[in-house]
This record gives sequence, structure tokens and C-alpha cells, in this order.
Amino acid sequence: MSACSLKVSELCKYYSSTLLFKDISFELGPGEILGITGWNGSGKSTLLRIIAGLVRPSAGQVEMFYEDEPIPKESRRKFLGMVAPALALYEELTALENMEFFCRVRGVSYDRKNCLHIMERVGLTEHAHKMFRNYSSGMKQRLKLVQALLHEPPLLLLDEPGCNLDSKGIRIVEEITSAQRRFGMTVIASNEKREVDYADRVINLSE
Amino acid sequence: MKSGRWITQTESSTYLNEAMAIWLRDLRSEFRTRYAINAILMFAVTTLVAVSFSIGAFRIGEAEKPFLYAVLLWIILVFSALSGLSRSFVKEEEAGTMDVLRLSARPQAVFLGKLFFNLTLLGALELIIVPSFILFMEYEIEFPGFFAAMTISAGLGLGAGTTIVAAMIAQASARGALFSALSFPLLFPLMITAIKGCERAAAGMDSAGWPEVRIAVAYVIIMIIMSLFLFPLIWEE
Amino acid sequence: MTAKVLLAIWMAIIIAAAFLYTEAASGFPGETSRILFFHVPQAWVATLAFLLSMIASAVYLAKRRVTADDLALSAAELGFLFCVLATVTGSIFAKATWGSFWNWDPRETSIVILLMIYGAYFALRSAVPDPEKKRVFAGVYAILAFITVPFLVFVVPRITASLHPEDTMNPANPGMDPKTLKVFLGSLFAYTALFVWMLRLRMRILRLEEMREEERRRQI
Repeated sequence: MSACSLKVSELCKYYSSTLLFKDISFELGPGEILGITGWNGSGKSTLLRIIAGLVRPSAGQVEMFYEDEPIPKESRRKFLGMVAPALALYEELTALENMEFFCRVRGVSYDRKNCLHIMERVGLTEHAHKMFRNYSSGMKQRLKLVQALLHEPPLLLLDEPGCNLDSKGIRIVEEITSAQRRFGMTVIASNEKREVDYADRVINLSE
Repeated sequence: MKSGRWITQTESSTYLNEAMAIWLRDLRSEFRTRYAINAILMFAVTTLVAVSFSIGAFRIGEAEKPFLYAVLLWIILVFSALSGLSRSFVKEEEAGTMDVLRLSARPQAVFLGKLFFNLTLLGALELIIVPSFILFMEYEIEFPGFFAAMTISAGLGLGAGTTIVAAMIAQASARGALFSALSFPLLFPLMITAIKGCERAAAGMDSAGWPEVRIAVAYVIIMIIMSLFLFPLIWEE
Repeated sequence: MTAKVLLAIWMAIIIAAAFLYTEAASGFPGETSRILFFHVPQAWVATLAFLLSMIASAVYLAKRRVTADDLALSAAELGFLFCVLATVTGSIFAKATWGSFWNWDPRETSIVILLMIYGAYFALRSAVPDPEKKRVFAGVYAILAFITVPFLVFVVPRITASLHPEDTMNPANPGMDPKTLKVFLGSLFAYTALFVWMLRLRMRILRLEEMREEERRRQI
């Protein structure tokens, strides 16, 4: 089990004068799954982006710890993998080329077999050499999952992971989430009840 | 139990490795779509043809040629560059890949990778346009070594001065016009240095030590260092 | 309150003195040298404002205190204003002295580049909707623009000197007789004080706007 934990304190986000959410606090430890629900536009995606370090909160803090040592903000990316509707991969590259790029740019050694193994988990092996541009939306979503898992992150941030997926795809997400439970933490943002059903706790942003 | 590979492995990776990965990926994408290079070359060729045609039969005095032609050459190069150098960042933003890049790469590596890519584009631009210009306009150059060094160093400067600006405008609105408006004041000293240097090289004027080349190189170094320092601020919100 | 009034009176005295107290400098046609009492301080303020804007930007980027960015913006706005004034008065002087409004001599070139930098700065600010990002980007650009200035100062004279063989005279320091010197320094002081006064006013307006923002948020 990865010795990684997440602590969020009194997070608050405004866009101009519009309040998105405030006073969001929670702690997450290895093996735990947190669900985030709320109406469309309630800030679920923004909250995940703040945890990922892509957006600055208006107030509050996000802290991650590895073996009880705080992780500096610049290094946070090494400890997390993210899937979100707004995230896209490179259209003119094949799936494998995309994965090779992400390995190299993250400074993780590119292991073709390992990549193909992860792609197998999501059922994309036959499409490994197809251009991302030619993927269906369901396939794209599954490849995004691969991208998030490439470097075995202790924290998985899943923003509407079931988006565009058929029932088979949704089962794959469930399998990934339970595998992650054995290894680290997961935060799932979704309006789908079944997706947040396996969460240990749920935070509703619309309250 | 597996442990996070990224956490344990990164010690061996350098900024350069990661920058190269970004550079090569950009090159690969560009090779398959040819978006930026087309834009740049179209602009350059069109302008070159327009200039060559407009001057046409008009006889420019030999004394005026070195300077005038230097001006025209650098106008063509600078404005062609401005038409295409923001592509690599703007494309990331439009395609939605900027975030996954933010999550994957260190800011300095992103800057260097994109810089290398822009310099590649500029290299291609100069390789095609400068000889063409010299040929079509019958530009006589007394000191070709100096001239080449000037073109190369100023080309590096064009890349160094605009890459961080490109990153900013990719995240803003009104990108095309804004990119030129922001870049031009920054490039101005470089541009006039390049014009002066090329004039000197063409006219065979006293140019011991290639002063303009040294100024351009100083510009390149300073801009790259400052950009490396400032880039993380605009890359991560 | 009193500072404002004193400044106004001082400025009026300077203007009067520029025309009545001093004598027109020899070596300049007619009364044209008088414009230097206004032109040079304006250019001075424009450059000072740029320097101030850059330093404030650096402070903002380091400390993220919004007042620093307010200072950067206010200084830029006023710098732009004085830059325009300096360009116009300089142009008038050029026409009267050398017969043409524009010559691209080193000083004229530098002031145009400064105008373009200011213009670009404002364009950048208005093109970025997110307030925090806007401040960071503007700050970065201010610093980048500033570091190209040494190149400008160093390089431009080398270039334009040969472009225009008739060396354009630097009107900044003609030999000044005591009366002229007094009025000149007085004007320099007046313009700087004017700049500081307007700066503080502008910053106060920005601060009030921010307070209104915060108030609106608190009510939600």
C-alpha cells in the first residue's frame, strides 16, 4: 500500500463574484475512495482540478503527504493520475505513441509491454496502433484511463469516469477503482449514482 | 505491491530528456499535419514574391542595396515567424492537451521543448527563404560568413524572444493579433541589430569581431534565461 | 487636500516662469526652447513610470500582493499618458527646430517603442479574463519588456546614427543658465509630484474596486 495521503482544508473557489463552493475539507488515506457529487456547474471538475494543482483555490489549502513528508506543489503531479472530460490526448499520434510520449515526458522509463498490459486491462489492445483521432469517444475515454495509470499514481482523480462508456467500459472503471483501492486513494466526481456508490464517503457540492 | 513508478524513477531523467520528448512529439505531429510550417512558408513566399515583383525592374543604386535588402529580408523573416510561432502552444490549448501536459511535464522542460520546436521551424524558414531572397533579389554579400552567422543568431533570437509570449497568448483571447503586438516590441532591438549586421556583411563594411552577432547572442542568452525563470509562473496557475 | 492645492499653484508658477521669467535659449529658433521645460520632464516621468511598473510587477510575482499589481497598472497607465505627451511635445519641437515632425532619431525611436510596450501591456491585460492570471501575465510581460530596454539603449544609437548622418542634437542638456536651470528643475519636480499624486489617486480607485468585489463575495 502506498504511504500517500491527501488533506484538503477549507477550500473555497470564486469565479469573479460567483461562489462555486466554500469550506470544503476532508482527509483521504490509502485504500479510501471519496465521491464528489453536485449539480452541473457546482464545481466538481474545478475541485478536482484544484486538487491536481491545475487551478489555484481562492482560499484554503491542498496538501499531499508521502511517508509523512509533505509533497511540494511542483511535485504533486508525480503522485496523481487524472481523467476528465476536458483532458485530451494527442490526435495525430497513435495510442501507443501517446503513451510513449507520456512516459518519456514524465521521466518514467517507457516499457512497451507494461503499456500494452494496461491497454489490455481497458480492452484497447487491438487498437494500440490506431490514431487517437480515429478512436470513438468510448475508446478515447478508455485511453485516458491508461494515461492516468501509466505511472502507477497513489492518487487517482476521476472526473466523470463513466462518460461516453458502455456497460463494459463502466465495468472496466469499476475494476480499476477497486484495484486502486488496494494500492492508494481515489476521488471520483460524478452525478451517476452507481459511480459514487462504491465510495466510502460522499461530499455533495450543491449543499 | 507496486510502488508509484514516477515517484521512484525520476532521478535519472533530466530537463533535457523531457524537453526532447516534447520537441520530438511536436515534430512528429507537425510532420503529420504540416500546419505551422505551411503557414510560415506561405507567408514568407507570398511576401518574398510580392517584394521581388514590386521592386522588379526598378533599379536600386548599388550603394543602397545592402541596407534596403537587409530591411526587406528581415521584415519578411520576422513577420513570417510571427505568423507561425504561436502554433505549438495555441494548438495545445485548442486541442485540450495543455492540461495533460501540465500534469505530465515540468514547466522548464515544456519551455525548452517548445523552444526547440520553434527554432526548428525558424531554421526551416531561414534555410528556404534566405537563399531564395539572395537569389531573387540578387543580393551581393561581401562577407558571407558574417552574414550567415547573423542570420543564424538572429533566428535563435526570434525563437528565444517569442516562445514565452506564445505560451501567454495561447491562454488568452484574440491570439493572432495579440501575439504580434506583444512580440514586436520585444523583438525590435534584435531586428534592427540583424538588419545592421546583414547590411554590414553585405556591404563589406568594417566588422571586426562581428559586433552585431555578439549582441544577438547576448539577446538569445538573456531571453532564454529570463524565460526559463518566468515560464513556470505563466504555465501553472 | 493642501498638497493638491500647493501642487497646482506650483505648476502654475512653473508654467508662468517658463514663459516670462526665463529667456529663450540661444541656438534654438525663436521661443522653441521653452517646450523643453515640459517635454523633458514628461519623458522623464514616462521612463520613471516604466521602471516603477516593472519593479512593482516583480514584487507582485514574488509576493502576490494585489497592491503591487495595482501599482504596476497605475504606473503603466500614467506612464502611457506621459509618454504620449512627451511624444507630442517632442514632435512639435522637432517640427519647429528641424522642420519635420518625425526623424526616427534614437530618442524618438525609444519613445515609440515604449508606447508600443505600454500598448501591448494593456492589450494583454484585457485579453486575459481571469484576474489572477491577468496580473501574473502582465507582470511577466513587464519584466520581459524591461530587459529588452538595455538592448534598445545600447543598440539603437549605433544603428540610427548611421541612418541619419546629421547627428540629431540631444536637447536634454543644453548649457543652461541659472534661471533656466531653476525653472527646469522646478518643472521636473512639479511633473514628478503630479505623477505621484495621480498615481496614488489611481491606486485608490483600484483598491476601492477590489473592496467592492470582496464585499460582494462576502454577501454570497
